[in-house]
Amino acid sequence: MWWYVAKRLLQTIPVFLGATLILFTMLKLRPGDPILNLVGDKPISDALRAQLTEQYALDDPIFVQWLHWVGNALTLDFGETFAGQPVIELISQTFPVTVVLAMMALAIDAVLGIVIGTYAGLKRNGIFDSSMLVMSLILLSVPIFVVGFVMQLVFGVKLGWTSPTVGGDWTVSSLILPAIVLAIANFAYTIRLTRTSVAENLTADHVRTARAKGLSEGKVVRRHVLRNSLVPVVTYIGINLGSLMAGAVITESIFNIPGVGNAAYTAIMKGETPTVVTIVTFMVMVYVLMSLLVDLIYAVLDPRIRYA
Amino acid sequence: MRISRRTRIAGVALIAVAGLTLTACGSDSGSKADDNVITVYGTNPQNPLIPTATNEVGGGDPLNNIFAGLVAYNTDGSIVNEVADSIEPNEDSTVWTVTLKDGWTFSDGSAITANSFVDAWNYGADISNGHLGAYFFNPIKGTDEAGNTKEGEKISGLVVKDDKTFEISLKAPESDFPLRLGYSSYFPLPEVAYGSDGKITEEFGNAPIGNGPYQLTKSGWEKNKQISLEPNAKYSGVHEPKNDGLVFKFYAGGGTDAAYTDVQAGNLDVLDQVPPSAVTTFESDSNIQAYNEPGSMFASVTIPARLDHFAGEEGNLRRKAISMSINREQIAEKIYNNTRTAAVDFTSPVLEGWTEEIPGNEVVEHNPTEAKKLWAEADKISKWTGTFALGYNSDGAGHKEWTEAASNQIAENLGIKAEAKAYATFDEMRGQVTDRTIKTAFRTGWQADYPSMLNYLGALYGTGAGSNDGDYSNKKFDELIAKAASTTGDDRFKLITEAQSILMEDLPALPLFYYNSTAAVATDVKGFDFNWQAKPEYYQLTKK
Repeated sequence: MWWYVAKRLLQTIPVFLGATLILFTMLKLRPGDPILNLVGDKPISDALRAQLTEQYALDDPIFVQWLHWVGNALTLDFGETFAGQPVIELISQTFPVTVVLAMMALAIDAVLGIVIGTYAGLKRNGIFDSSMLVMSLILLSVPIFVVGFVMQLVFGVKLGWTSPTVGGDWTVSSLILPAIVLAIANFAYTIRLTRTSVAENLTADHVRTARAKGLSEGKVVRRHVLRNSLVPVVTYIGINLGSLMAGAVITESIFNIPGVGNAAYTAIMKGETPTVVTIVTFMVMVYVLMSLLVDLIYAVLDPRIRYA
Repeated sequence: MRISRRTRIAGVALIAVAGLTLTACGSDSGSKADDNVITVYGTNPQNPLIPTATNEVGGGDPLNNIFAGLVAYNTDGSIVNEVADSIEPNEDSTVWTVTLKDGWTFSDGSAITANSFVDAWNYGADISNGHLGAYFFNPIKGTDEAGNTKEGEKISGLVVKDDKTFEISLKAPESDFPLRLGYSSYFPLPEVAYGSDGKITEEFGNAPIGNGPYQLTKSGWEKNKQISLEPNAKYSGVHEPKNDGLVFKFYAGGGTDAAYTDVQAGNLDVLDQVPPSAVTTFESDSNIQAYNEPGSMFASVTIPARLDHFAGEEGNLRRKAISMSINREQIAEKIYNNTRTAAVDFTSPVLEGWTEEIPGNEVVEHNPTEAKKLWAEADKISKWTGTFALGYNSDGAGHKEWTEAASNQIAENLGIKAEAKAYATFDEMRGQVTDRTIKTAFRTGWQADYPSMLNYLGALYGTGAGSNDGDYSNKKFDELIAKAASTTGDDRFKLITEAQSILMEDLPALPLFYYNSTAAVATDVKGFDFNWQAKPEYYQLTKK
């Protein structure tokens, strides 16, 4: 199995190179002039412009800029933002809160989604199942920023149960509301997936055999139904981390969370290519490692899946 | 065997998640600070906190409270000497002699001398330092168009006479030069700012030592979180703090929506710009105190003469027609709930000497009949073809709404095709404006650097001026502006009005709105007042 892990880790190298090259090319297509942002649209002398252009390597061909960036990245030097802050420092300041937020959303999504989905699957076509189907449909169709603003207004401003924004002094408890908002869309999907999967497995041969052996209903569900049903659900939840990070950009701006989504947004608006590429690359890497973790969890759920 | 391996993997995953969660717990904050400390809206500064290196409000607002200049601005935009004892011009206002008051020191106790100013300005102008505020030194002799000096060179127009006196020589007469001197680029720096290599140190940029009403607290600038200030005991100027400190709380991405919600919930004391989403409701919101008054920002539409049909006599008729077909009052009221005011000149009503009595300014009034007539006259010279497009940047909030409304009014009143054309980012649009490739009319705005009408007129419409986006040139106008710049007293306002009436005739840009200053303030805060720059007078705020 360790060989498998090593192999998967080696695969991240082409992913890293490919993703960064694509990002560089895409950002090059962004119109506009980053220097103008930098000087705030005031007149600037040609000499200073030339100096800044050179400092941020804005004139080099995109491939050269990319090579330059990759070369530096190998020594963990990700350059500086236009403001002169090392990008790695920016990431170490902004990444933890985003990761915690995404993990909390993931936990809410997984726990509630699986519990409710399983129950709905066991009692399918009952009142609980039908109402969950309707509810999940509603949750899926309302955009995340609407949910965000409404929950912020109700729980933060009107009821005052929690602070409506997070700010620099973030704590785990202050992230609960944003995490719920972030989890909501995915959570509805997890319910539906679990429900269908459980319902399907309930009629499988091995479940009938288990019942025939006289096993208690609880044991049948836990050992024989759930375990098999969870394989697709785990895949979905794992892959979700990517969309959670993307969703975090919106959630972070609604709740003023000083996370990586906000940092990426600001950098894109200013045309800071190296900063954007570095941040997004970190996101890509988290995603890659998460899907590796998902694959490893398969083996726990289903012993027939083994890696060599 | 197999079981144990599986358990191990699951364990690793669990520990990884738990570890992340636990590290996060470490960043919990301490107890709440003193009651009379005011929290205000801010964004993380983009540059080190050095006056000449900062050109955006995230750093500018804290700097204006940490430092004091030769003059200080009163709430109405007039000036009063602060560190300066006197600032005296020679006969034609080209050489200014500055004498400093005795007894001023920086917050670390070191004395303020003529060199504290001259050295800081020389450093800011030196191109090799790449400071973005250098542009302010451009009136001083020895700097280039962008206010820079060559590498290692000093500004030749600055001469230190003795510890308390220095002389500033200007390239051209400027009677209201002292008005500039309260701007942050002109702040002094203490000697400790410079390292052994003569460069301003990184530590200083992170924790500057100033001479202003406030100084940084021990925690100071916490990146991406906040900047905390406390009153400076050594300060003896005109802006004596009435509160126990200021905390600039950062809102990432500049989002004022979250800040507005925080004011409503009592988590933030002062937000100095109401977000577009709350503009129609904030004045009736009982959770906050609302402020809404005319400000110093001016918005216009520039139609360059190089566009088809906009040159010469024909272009002049068309400009007037377009101007008269826009109903400014209606847009200000319907879209902005009167947080903008229809413009009647090219400056701002908050400035000294401002008047609405400008000959020819009936072209900014809504008059569809006259507009149609003028357009028809222009059609006689050369028939109009195509679509009139009005460019705006969609990353800045609130531009889409009025450009679309104005386009609709133009289309309806003139019977032509007109549309608002979106540019994704400000720098994309400005890039095309700067290199003169933009093929449409476009929105322009101006926030003055110092409270003088000449800072609007000269900078925007003077021949060859840096922000003259439409390449407007009129000798008579230039002469009047130059004459006004060398005239002192109320006489200069007459000349300015005369110059403005030329602009009303030529319409290098169509005046549209003055932006109102809006603010949402927590209900228990007292002493809120806007200064001429649409910023709160921070030192006056109290909570008791």
